[in-house]
Amino acid sequence: MRAPSVVRLGPRSAAVLGLASLAGLMMFVWPLLVRVEPQSMQHGPDAPFVFIGILPILIIVVLAELSEGGMDSKALAMLGVLSAVNAALRPLGAGTAGIETVFFMLVLSGRVFGAGFGFVLGCTSLFASALLTAGVGPWLPFQMMASAWIGMGAGLLPRRVRGKAEIAMLVGYGIVVAYLFGFMMNLWFWPFITDAEVPYHDGHISYVPGDPVLENLHRFAVFTLLTSTAGWDTGRAITNTIAILVLGPAVLATLRRASRRASFGAVATFDQDLRATALK
Amino acid sequence: MIELDHVSFTYHGQTEPVLSDVTLSIGEGELVLFAGQTGAGKSTLLGTINGLVPHFTGGHLEGTVSVDGETTRSRPPREFAHLVGVVGQDPLAGFVTDTVEDELAYGMEQLGLAPQVMRRRVEETLDLLGIAELRGRALRTLSGGQQQRVAIGSVLTTHPKVLVLDEPTSALDPIAAEEVLATLARLVEDLGTTVLMAEHRMERVIPFADRMIYVPGTGGVVDGTPAEVLRDTPIAPPIVQLGRLAGWDPLPMSVRDARRAAGSLRSSLGSAPSRPVGAGPVLLSSSDVVVRYGPKVAVRAVSLDLCAGSVLAMMGRNGSGKSSLLWALQGSGPRRGGTVRVDDTDPKSLDSARARKLVGMVPQTASDLLYLQTVADECAAADVESGATPGFCSSLLDRLAPGISRSAHPRDLSEGQRLALVLAVQLSAAPRIMLLDEPTRGLDYTAKAALATMITDLAAEGRAVVVATHDVEFVASVADRVVVMAEGEIVSDGPTGEVLGGSPAFATQVAKIMGESWLTVDDVRSALPQVVR
Amino acid sequence: MARYFLPRDLHPAAWWVWALGLSVAATRTTNPWLLLMIVAVAGYVVVARRTDAPWAMAFRMYLYLGAVIVCVRVFFRLVFGGAEGSTIILRLPEIPLPAWAAGIRLLGDVSAESLLGGLYDGLRLATMVICLGAANALANPKRLLKAMPPALYEVGTAVIVALSVFPQLAESVLRVRRARKLRGGASGKRVAALHAIIIPVLEDALSRSLQLAASMDSRGYGRAGLVEARARLLTGALMIVGLIGVCVGVYATLDGSTPRFLAAPVLSSGVLVALAGFRLAGRRVRRTRYRPDRWHLPELVVAASGIGVAAVMFVTSTVNPMNLNPSLITLSWPALSWSPLLGVLLGVIPAVLTPLPASPHVPAEKVAA
Repeated sequence: MRAPSVVRLGPRSAAVLGLASLAGLMMFVWPLLVRVEPQSMQHGPDAPFVFIGILPILIIVVLAELSEGGMDSKALAMLGVLSAVNAALRPLGAGTAGIETVFFMLVLSGRVFGAGFGFVLGCTSLFASALLTAGVGPWLPFQMMASAWIGMGAGLLPRRVRGKAEIAMLVGYGIVVAYLFGFMMNLWFWPFITDAEVPYHDGHISYVPGDPVLENLHRFAVFTLLTSTAGWDTGRAITNTIAILVLGPAVLATLRRASRRASFGAVATFDQDLRATALK
Repeated sequence: MIELDHVSFTYHGQTEPVLSDVTLSIGEGELVLFAGQTGAGKSTLLGTINGLVPHFTGGHLEGTVSVDGETTRSRPPREFAHLVGVVGQDPLAGFVTDTVEDELAYGMEQLGLAPQVMRRRVEETLDLLGIAELRGRALRTLSGGQQQRVAIGSVLTTHPKVLVLDEPTSALDPIAAEEVLATLARLVEDLGTTVLMAEHRMERVIPFADRMIYVPGTGGVVDGTPAEVLRDTPIAPPIVQLGRLAGWDPLPMSVRDARRAAGSLRSSLGSAPSRPVGAGPVLLSSSDVVVRYGPKVAVRAVSLDLCAGSVLAMMGRNGSGKSSLLWALQGSGPRRGGTVRVDDTDPKSLDSARARKLVGMVPQTASDLLYLQTVADECAAADVESGATPGFCSSLLDRLAPGISRSAHPRDLSEGQRLALVLAVQLSAAPRIMLLDEPTRGLDYTAKAALATMITDLAAEGRAVVVATHDVEFVASVADRVVVMAEGEIVSDGPTGEVLGGSPAFATQVAKIMGESWLTVDDVRSALPQVVR
Repeated sequence: MARYFLPRDLHPAAWWVWALGLSVAATRTTNPWLLLMIVAVAGYVVVARRTDAPWAMAFRMYLYLGAVIVCVRVFFRLVFGGAEGSTIILRLPEIPLPAWAAGIRLLGDVSAESLLGGLYDGLRLATMVICLGAANALANPKRLLKAMPPALYEVGTAVIVALSVFPQLAESVLRVRRARKLRGGASGKRVAALHAIIIPVLEDALSRSLQLAASMDSRGYGRAGLVEARARLLTGALMIVGLIGVCVGVYATLDGSTPRFLAAPVLSSGVLVALAGFRLAGRRVRRTRYRPDRWHLPELVVAASGIGVAAVMFVTSTVNPMNLNPSLITLSWPALSWSPLLGVLLGVIPAVLTPLPASPHVPAEKVAA
């Protein structure tokens, strides 16, 4: 089955998306990349604050590019409604550690409506949710970027897989992204919650700017294992698994039906000149 | 102003055209009423005017549609936003923003009007529609009638030359519908806009309609003055049906016309038929039921008995406590005081699976109960939930509404069919009492008639049926007892003839013409001397 | 003057600039007195200028969050060993971990210096978060959306739609849950019940989205002039070149061994070029705004006060850094000098020199009952 072109990803959009993702990725994993030369010490500590300023710019540039040719009203309304659904699902899990309900819908929508839509949906869902809960802050761009990747990745999974295999694939994906999301968010935040910038203070799990990547990664892995993997990330993975297993087939069918009914990229034809004019 | 030239339209994947070879010319300032059954192609026809059909829906259009010289062939609907304003059925679903003022401005923002112009037009429109005091309110908190007025206002701000309204009142209760239609009548007088309106409460619009277009569902259209068109359409308001029965010519288009013509008919009739009153054994008895939500009292110590074989209609304005009472009687809703007894059990004390075997209920939004992908799945699930033999629900559905495809998606059914499905699902638990909350909302004449038959059959099988509704004509055709509620109390209770006939607010059209003892056209028909009949 | 104080809502961006100024100031210091002062200033302004809208109530949550952050920081010092420093105040039994744990130890000796370091650092992070909370409480998120740049017209509209659909969803969930009981729902398995609630709500929402799309289309959504191919090409080129610059710049910033001219200069010019592309992308959108928020004098005052606080902190940190970062090597009461303190007090100006908020907001959740 052909993926509906809900939000088109042309070569140019793909290039912008790829570059922004690369830069974004570096901002997530900066603690591992930092290599400090003795004489340029001052750049290390400032970097995270600079990134907090730059990541939002990356995101708006990508979003502007994705909607550059104008966005179909149906895609937009769908985006708005699904963002509201995601924003509504999100607080369901608050309060209970690790029950993160926002991702399964994102994965399923990305799967049905494609990678571009998944990316934008990840951004708008988290943004809408932050506005609704007054949760706007420097963490928001990082959450938006990470969820956008999750939505996009779901759209890039092999299209041909259907039925039980599809659910199994999505469950697998859900588990992987649950851990990856926790990993990425921790990685970005790690130096802040332990000690990044108090040089006379080396806590043992602390991040050490300029240490070899592997050593920092090792330390980080232990940190994340001890602090969140067992709790939040596993909780998130379990929530994703259960939600996709139980609700997946029905939600997929519902979304696909909606996609059919909306007949994205509907072709309007006329007599006389039988050249097809797509909606756009 | 609007020219349709040999227009035919076919949806993708369908072989039969919805419209075939329609040619119409609608002049400036005309008010045209569109009528036809649900699914006959009214909405499609109206959709062609601003190009939503085929640009939005997809499909193949032949011929040309042009508005003010612009053809929809080359330009998408958004390029018609300053020419054609479209108002749909459910105002809330069409709102983009969330406050009244922002919504009024939205269309103008898209057109790129200057801020001063927008400011001025918003103020003008607020006054024109009499909604100035609502300006800062959240759209969601408005009543249905207010929402629809805002929706109309939001398309008027761009000063369109044509206003297209697709059943603007079908999702509203009669009071809100009155509000909206009255507003529209005034607009037509004041603005001189061309108005195209599909409306099933035809009798409200006919007095000021210049023209009527009937869409029979065969692809063509019947075009003429309302009196001409209504002479032989299968759907017609009661006044027209009465006029046809009595052979009046020209057909009366308003109650006043009809009343003037009715003198001879009245004298030729015998006595009014007595309406049977169901008086079976009491199946449900309740006393002093109290429902309150915090400080707000919804039901104020109401006592009500329901008898086997009787259809009780519950009337009253929105917020008078009808729904709360029904939910309390069923047992799922809150009840603060009083008793409800069915077979010496209180349904509230049972779990919901057993309560529904005593008292069944169809809620206001019936589709809330449907969650599976096909009709067959829903029926099978209902059998399991009710512990019925497999196939029971399906056979019920066949009796209620024959011919529903089992592989169809429940959401693709028409309103009437979906109602029948939910009714079948609820009946599969075999309750002897069935409560229906506003089942007539959004149904056209045909679907209402079908529902009336279903309800009469249920009562004939010895069930007690309660229907909460605003629809007087529907009540007159099904109910044998009417309860009117106001502010949580029952203010009148009695046989249908007494309650409806005696009240100017609840009188049916026929009663307004013929006097209080005649409620429906059928009443008149049965009393006609053989010769005329 | 009377005109200046006419009650109205300030531009949300002004509040954000102010709050960001305060939180940037907080990044420059670990002096607890100064940090607490910043929190007090933010809190005072919030109390003075917030409305009764739901988002304004969120400030309290941010205060709790700040407290949690401080506790977590100190707690980490306890759990993951904080023996650095000479004043050991707590001796806990150390739990040895296997070798793979990279030398991390659990518990063990805890020093006062270590705990204090955790406290100061936690307090700084908490202060930054609380400042953002102040912005969340003061800036109306809906007006913020109205101020979206034109290039984000579509995405902004999607978020507006999401915000207006959200409360309808909540109502829809309540309605379906209630209706569910009529079908004997309470007795089913919990997951199956979830199914029966989510599907109708989702169906409802999706069919609503189609009606909404039709309504938007016929009301002129997306009515934009055609953009020349050349302009589009330029937009794309600017964005791509800018992003390449950002990639290189970010890498160079992190990797100290690359030439320095690749770091800050390339990064900032990359950002500028990408933003130019972004601006250009907004050109195609030709629509106007109803009653736009504009920057007037009060907005400038608010923004200036935030920037002023940050500026004073920067200046002080170059003159007298010890004052801002109290020593952890020799334990003593952190000293406080006048200049940074007065600087922080600049932040309180908006509590006095701004008009009162105007709109009597209708609380969004009022109808949920």
